[in-house]
Amino acid sequence: MKPFIDTLNVLLPILYIITFIIYSYDFGRGNNKYANSKRLFLFITLLVHLSYLLLRTMKFEHPPITNVFEIFTVIAFAIAFSYFILELLTDIRGTGPFIIIFSVLFQTISSIFITDEFFVKEVLKNNLLGFHVFTALIGYSAITISAVYGFLYLMLYKEIKTNRFGLIYERMPNLEVLEQLSFYSAVIGFAMLTIAIIIGLIWLPQAFPKFSFIDPKIIGTALVWILYGVGILSKVLGKWQGKKLVAILIGGFLIAILSTMVTNFISQSFHSFY
Amino acid sequence: MNILTVAINHHTAPVEIREALHLNEDEVRALTLKAKEKIFKEGFILSTCNRTEIYCIPKNLNTLHKDIQDFLLNEKPGLNVSGEHFQYFSSTDAVKHLFSIITGINSQLIGDNQIFKQVKSSFQIADDLQSSGFLLRHLFASATHAGKRAITETGISEGAVTISFAAVQLIEKIFSSLGKKTALVIGAGETGEIAAKHLRDRGIGKLTITNRTQERADQLAETLMCSTIPFSDFKKQLHQFDIIISATSSNDLILTKDDISTSIKTRKGSTIILMDIAVPRDIDPESKELDHVFYKDIDSLNIIIEHNLKKRHSEIPKVEKIIKEELEEFSSWYSSLDAAPTIRTLREHFENIRAEEVKKNKNKFTESDQDKLEIITKRIINKLLHHPTTELKKAAEQENDSAITKTKVGILKEMFGIDQHHPENNEKEK
Repeated sequence: MKPFIDTLNVLLPILYIITFIIYSYDFGRGNNKYANSKRLFLFITLLVHLSYLLLRTMKFEHPPITNVFEIFTVIAFAIAFSYFILELLTDIRGTGPFIIIFSVLFQTISSIFITDEFFVKEVLKNNLLGFHVFTALIGYSAITISAVYGFLYLMLYKEIKTNRFGLIYERMPNLEVLEQLSFYSAVIGFAMLTIAIIIGLIWLPQAFPKFSFIDPKIIGTALVWILYGVGILSKVLGKWQGKKLVAILIGGFLIAILSTMVTNFISQSFHSFY
Repeated sequence: MNILTVAINHHTAPVEIREALHLNEDEVRALTLKAKEKIFKEGFILSTCNRTEIYCIPKNLNTLHKDIQDFLLNEKPGLNVSGEHFQYFSSTDAVKHLFSIITGINSQLIGDNQIFKQVKSSFQIADDLQSSGFLLRHLFASATHAGKRAITETGISEGAVTISFAAVQLIEKIFSSLGKKTALVIGAGETGEIAAKHLRDRGIGKLTITNRTQERADQLAETLMCSTIPFSDFKKQLHQFDIIISATSSNDLILTKDDISTSIKTRKGSTIILMDIAVPRDIDPESKELDHVFYKDIDSLNIIIEHNLKKRHSEIPKVEKIIKEELEEFSSWYSSLDAAPTIRTLREHFENIRAEEVKKNKNKFTESDQDKLEIITKRIINKLLHHPTTELKKAAEQENDSAITKTKVGILKEMFGIDQHHPENNEKEK
């Protein structure tokens, strides 16, 4: 089974890159020539990825969430899968390359650095942690997608404002739809992150009795949560919308990424698994 | 293929002459009937604001383009028109010209799909007046097929190429559902009316009109079944509208940046679109600097139009390819109307039916009778086909390649279902 897992590990970034190329080609040409085949190719890639995750879980007897590079492959899958569902539900096919590129990045980094973790720290063998990681990953995938749609919103906004009616103007859905996609993804992300934080706060004192509330991970997560909370509430109350709202959502995403990088690669935190 | 075309259009004649030669529907009908009597064996007349063209298969083989041109000019005497203002096409070139018109690549505004409907309606008039026969009906079918293919398989008609359409296209790139939006049209003149109609056609949620002369606003509102607000009051209610289209003839600004800024504040930053399609402009262009405000004037909309026209031009080679394919299809169908291959196909068709039926039923006969069955059925087929075959051969010898022979052959093929080159059959096969 191990050689097969290794083969899939090499194959996955290639599949994501090919999917990305097909989506980008169709985006560039704008004739939707490969509208159905690109979706099929993404589906096949997702199936291969799912098999890889299941095989890893079976072979190493733990879900692939025990180090940052295992988590990266799950994030790559979650982002591509969420986009696939979104494409099926909305039939908006022009935004694919901007989202799949994230799966390409996460999967490539994962495939290069992933190790076969036979030994799992005792602290990570916990059901609560499983729920925490699961909800957090969905949350991060959702806010990534939210940020991408937000970014596309800003690009289209700028093209329309400055009379530069280029590819983005031609291929993207309208501004209201992009704002809605960004907002709803953010709502899902916020809800999932809230659950992840609650579970984390319950589990944390049990796992690390000496943890500190000024830990970078806790500060970063609190900032992200507050930012999304404020943005969503403002939109619901009708105070902020359009460009301002989208800027907040993108800001939340950037802080989330920064927080993850600082926690895992730079500072020492209870959340450092690398 | 004895199809003749005489055309006067924007390539050959100035607008004054095109206007003078334009025929309305009643005139087209009257002229078609007259032509049917004097010139047409089959034929139709196409007349739009940019072209007047006659397509026909003349009764007399000696009829020339000049005769058709004189026939047309007799209808509008006293015009200063010379031969240079006309284009002549014959045979395959005439068919190709028709295909280039119906696909929109011959239009002044490339890809204008209005011409597709106009050509179809000309076909319809000819059909109603029984001026179209077997050949022309097939030409109609092929031309319509080419036109549809150009629209569906290429981007020749994509994108807005008029100011009012470009404005609507831009609005739809900002708002997702016009049904939930409110719009104010300032100015009830011709431009304002067109813009208001476009918005109504796109299903705008609420449409309001304001005009300096209230009476004119009321008239337009009645036609479009929408509301009005007094011109003196509209600034106070500006915040209620998501889309504002201004098309007045005022020499001064009607809406200042401050007016828009106040409105945006009342709207709590909700997006507002300002379409200033007036010359000189009605809305302060500085308004575009405000967040959540999309301000567009005629120059901005012209950028969209130029961009779309450029894209349409780049689609012309694809349309030309379609025309080439359809022309080959049509020519191949026309060639298939020769007598000799038709006789062969007809015989094969009957023989196939005979052989199939004999095969199915021969077990009902004794072995000795089965041979007789073959002989008798073959004899029946020969007798049935003897007369049509002789007649076709005779027609072909006497009137080689004439429209009459082609028509006879065509009808025969249609009746027995052996018309493999007919576009409609091909469509079914696909």
